Amino acid sequence: MRKLLMTAMLLIAMTSAAQAETIIASVNGLVCAFCATSIEKTFKKQPAVDQVKVDLDTKLVTISTKDGQTIDDKTITSLITDAGYSVTNIKRQK
Amino acid sequence: MRIYALALLLITLLAVAEEAVAKPISYVGGTMVMQENDETGNTLSVDYTVTPNYAVGFFAKQEEGGSKNMLTVGPQLNTLVKRWNLPVGQGNIFNMTGIGESTLDGKTRPSAWTGMLADYETRRIFTSYELRLMDAQNMDSYVRQRARAGVAPYLANYDDLNTFLMLQVDDHPDKDHTIVVTPLVRFFYHTALAEAGYSSDHQAMFNWILQF
Repeated sequence: MRKLLMTAMLLIAMTSAAQAETIIASVNGLVCAFCATSIEKTFKKQPAVDQVKVDLDTKLVTISTKDGQTIDDKTITSLITDAGYSVTNIKRQK
Repeated sequence: MRIYALALLLITLLAVAEEAVAKPISYVGGTMVMQENDETGNTLSVDYTVTPNYAVGFFAKQEEGGSKNMLTVGPQLNTLVKRWNLPVGQGNIFNMTGIGESTLDGKTRPSAWTGMLADYETRRIFTSYELRLMDAQNMDSYVRQRARAGVAPYLANYDDLNTFLMLQVDDHPDKDHTIVVTPLVRFFYHTALAEAGYSSDHQAMFNWILQF
């Protein structure tokens, strides 16, 4: 029973560590789809990024990372700034 | 002379070319090819964005109108002077400056050009104003202005085909028709943009931009 419990805990810990992350950035200046492609292209160059979605209605950029990888807030802000926009908020979901 | 030949080849291949159809700076590491064909002539520019505020590139313009058929080529520096990122819009001021050479009637002279572009856009409206000065030593010089206003007939999202209906007004005192009005339609989808219009002096206009 003890062995079973330990195995289960180990599995949970491993699953958690390998989980992908969804990062949602609120962005100012996001009005032109042609210009916003710069955000998609910039993030797709990042090895940790699996998918990027830009929504002009909500002014949100949603970044999905690959399993077990992440990008810190500073890098996200820097990449969005390089693409020509301003970040107002960053939220994370596992 | 090599740069002149290259410009001529590019212009011939692309059947002709722009100034500032869209923003002259894209994203860091991005390349943008812009071509404009209108009543002022044909322009081609290729720009590479080095930092969020600077892009370097190549500019070529074949002037048309009256007896003038002048080709100007040279490197150009595009600078983002100021940007306002707002919740519902974005405003920008850009400078585009270049030096090169101009050829007219077999004579080649050094030339220089500079321009300021200010724009403001939301998902529904687009406005811009551009002032451009050009001087080819002892051959030609001009000051031109261009204003644009446009509206999107529907609100398109990122993955949709975006459409803008626009009115462009050009003021070029050096040409036969000083004021030229061009109604046009702009389409863009992801990294491709195209514009088509017809001017008050009966010239077709076609511009395109590719970003990669």
